[in-house]
Amino acid sequence: MSMEDYDFLFKIVLIGNAGVGKTCLVRRFTQGLFPPGQGATIGVDFMIKTVEINGEKVKLQIWDTAGQERFRSITQSYYRSANALILTYDITCEESFRCLPEWLREIEQYASNKVITVLVGNKIDLADKREVSQQRAAEFSEAQDMYYLETSAKESDNVEKLFLDLACRLISEARQNTLENNVSSPLPGEGKSISYLTCCNFN
Amino acid sequence: MAAATASGPRGEGGGAATSALTMERIQSLTELTELEAAYSRLCEEEKVVQEELDALLEQQSTIENKMVVLHRMGPNLQLIEGDAQQLAGMITFTCNLAENVSSKVRQLDLAKNRLYQAIQRADDILDLKFCMDGVQTALRNEDYEQAAAHIHRYLSLDKSVIELSRQGKEGGIIDANLKLLQEAEHRLKMIVTEKFDTAMKQGDLPRVERFFKIFPLLGLHEEGLSKFSEYLCKQVANKAEENLQLVMGTDMSDRRAAVIFADTLTLLFEGIARIVETHQPIVETYYGPGRLYALIKHLQVECDRQVEKVVDKFIKERDYHRQFQQVQNSMMRSSSVEKIEPRELDPILTEVTLMNARSELYLRFIKRRIIADFEVGDSMASEEVKQEHQKYLDKLLNNCLLSRTMQELIGYYITMEEYFMRETVNKAVAMDSYEKGQLTSSMVDDVFYIVKKCIGRALSSSSIDCLCAMINHSTTELESDFREVLHNKLKQGFPATTFQDFQRGVTSAVNIMHSSLQQGKFDTKGIESTDEAKQSFLVTLNNVEVCSENIMTLKKTLESDCSKLLSQGFGGEQAQAKIDSCLSDMAAVSNKFRDLLQEGLSELNSTAIKPQVKPWINLFLSVSHNIEEEEFSDYEANDPWVQQFILNLEQQMTEFKAGLSPVIYDTLTGLMTSLIAIELEKVLLKSTFSRLGGLQFDKELRSLIAYLTTVTTWTIRDKFARLSQMATILNLERVTEILDYWGPNSGPLTWRLTPAEVRQVLALRIDFRSEDIKRLRL
Repeated sequence: MSMEDYDFLFKIVLIGNAGVGKTCLVRRFTQGLFPPGQGATIGVDFMIKTVEINGEKVKLQIWDTAGQERFRSITQSYYRSANALILTYDITCEESFRCLPEWLREIEQYASNKVITVLVGNKIDLADKREVSQQRAAEFSEAQDMYYLETSAKESDNVEKLFLDLACRLISEARQNTLENNVSSPLPGEGKSISYLTCCNFN
Repeated sequence: MAAATASGPRGEGGGAATSALTMERIQSLTELTELEAAYSRLCEEEKVVQEELDALLEQQSTIENKMVVLHRMGPNLQLIEGDAQQLAGMITFTCNLAENVSSKVRQLDLAKNRLYQAIQRADDILDLKFCMDGVQTALRNEDYEQAAAHIHRYLSLDKSVIELSRQGKEGGIIDANLKLLQEAEHRLKMIVTEKFDTAMKQGDLPRVERFFKIFPLLGLHEEGLSKFSEYLCKQVANKAEENLQLVMGTDMSDRRAAVIFADTLTLLFEGIARIVETHQPIVETYYGPGRLYALIKHLQVECDRQVEKVVDKFIKERDYHRQFQQVQNSMMRSSSVEKIEPRELDPILTEVTLMNARSELYLRFIKRRIIADFEVGDSMASEEVKQEHQKYLDKLLNNCLLSRTMQELIGYYITMEEYFMRETVNKAVAMDSYEKGQLTSSMVDDVFYIVKKCIGRALSSSSIDCLCAMINHSTTELESDFREVLHNKLKQGFPATTFQDFQRGVTSAVNIMHSSLQQGKFDTKGIESTDEAKQSFLVTLNNVEVCSENIMTLKKTLESDCSKLLSQGFGGEQAQAKIDSCLSDMAAVSNKFRDLLQEGLSELNSTAIKPQVKPWINLFLSVSHNIEEEEFSDYEANDPWVQQFILNLEQQMTEFKAGLSPVIYDTLTGLMTSLIAIELEKVLLKSTFSRLGGLQFDKELRSLIAYLTTVTTWTIRDKFARLSQMATILNLERVTEILDYWGPNSGPLTWRLTPAEVRQVLALRIDFRSEDIKRLRL
């Protein structure tokens, strides 16, 4: 394996209840597609996308896991090597939000303690069916010390931002770990993919 | 004519009209000069007129010639006009004629078409009649194939033709015929269904097949397939029931008892596969391609039903869920529950993976069959239809109960296998033993045997996700738990050196004696355990190195095993990428073991080697190098330092050479060599030298390098380059001689010493004057 084609490699694992739109988020980001009538994921899916952040090539290895209970023992095995976890729920589904503490327990049990966790409320295009308020989710994520973002895979809202900001954060984290403090870490929002230019800041 | 008109005006007006001089003006002239001037002008004018006239006259003959030609053409033109009129007449005539003829042809055509239609209709009516009669006779004779063929003919007739016929003169008869036919069709359908059902009840395969072939003739494809499937499903069910009964009666001592449920599933799948294999040709021949999906979809329902039964029995008989529960409780580390013995899980884990492997094999079989059948059936179909069909297939494969059930079983399996691996590894660690003469201890081989076994079992399930999960768990187990075990062993450190040991040994022996005297017994354990701890440290170093290598070997083995599995068509499109990623994570652990090895070695170097080597080197200071001839020859006879040093080193390293793998030993001697070089340099700079003292040092250094070269496999010259250069300086006759080796005169020699260091070393020679050294230009 040659190291020449990228400067950083990060593993990102998406988790959350079945049907909250994990696969759609990944497809939207990696292929720019929103496939309607997506069947349930079997086991885990695997996608790669390379993005450029401050001129550095960052290879994102994205593991899209099945939300259904019977695949839990497969998906759990991927937590430990993950650099980041994207914990997803559906803003139109109270149940998917209520399950979050259970997911956090799993993270606690299986993931490395250095892992970055992002809470994502998906499907904001279905605003009229919203069951989980933004404030509730924000409070929850704050209490759990997680980053929080709402997205729409269908309308492509915040999807690029989600992954690119995460990549930025992972880079600064990696730099801190290797004690390369002399190199300025990219600030979130500096990430660029081929087709989009994001401008954003973290709450 | 043109000439005439051109000359016209001039002729009319005469010379006077065009002349600039009028008659009146000429007559009014009185002066001679004026008259002369007028005259000359008139003469000029006359000349011009004369020239014009000449030119006109010249053209006359040409014009006349042209006139003659025109006259001759007159009659010809009249002729042409006549011909043209005649031609036009002829064309009009021909046109009319053609019009006439073609309209007749058209009429003929029409007539012919109508005639054909009439014949067709007559034929159809005849056919209808024939069919009607035929059906009646066939039905009477119970020749259902014939009857169905007639109905098929009737059904394939053009409905509008029949409708038209009914409006004709003989409408009444046809109507009656049609009614009879429809009745016959209805009756035949009933009869065929009935007969099929009876045949099915009796399990009469030839008759079942006979009526199965009739359905498509009556346009009842779906019904035929579903009825036939019903029959096949019943057969599957019967056979499965029988097999399950056999399972319940199986003796536990039976050779296959441990995998009896996997075997039962295998029989079920093989049964269905055989059915597909046998009946696919009939379906294809009588129902056309593209119908296999419908058949298998029906069969899958029965398959699911039977799988459910077998799996339910399996779960009950093998206590699968309870065992899983127990494992999960043990994993939660609530130590209150009794831990399940991992060995007890062994058979059930093997059976589950076998069950899944069979299921994957079966699913792959029906997938291939359906795809092939669709390909033939959809060869002319649009892309959308093809995609639609692919979707059906995916749905069938992914959503069938068989798939879901197996996914569930494998989900439990992974947790249990992980537990099995972890507990067995713990056991191997606990039972770790070391045999004298071996470099590594038993746990390394044991742990890798276990990991290989667990991953191998996951691989044997043919499920890529299951395999990857177990690779991940193995990586975690090796990286965290097992590496931690080795790390902790190394953290206990290498016990103190023999010298210190001796001192401590004495004091501790005194202590022990004290205490044992009080207790009335003597215990030597304290001294023995030091040896054990040393051994343990060295063995652990070897273990770490072997682990690092074993991981790479394991990765390579798994790579080739996986490519075998993938080449058989298991796993989705991303299977390879997933496996590669999981395996590369595993390979990364190998490096972590290497890091640990380096850590351990530098620990060994700083705690075991350095404390001993340093005092030995410090002894150098007690040997004066400010010597004269007499002492020099005395040194030659009785070596004051280096021989003893080498002896000490040799003694010390024998222990390591015996206890460490060649690669680690080599690294260790490398570390030691560097240490010696650094320490020796330090003491050197604290000593003083005479000319002969310098020579003595040079001898000593050469002996040392010669010895060290024999114990290391790599070159040590580089490490001793600075010391050798210092020896060279200490050996100089006089200060300025350095210039023979310095700067432009250095030749192939690369100086590792700075000019300041050169001066510093020169200053160690007591016979060199500091002014000379200062004066040097380096």
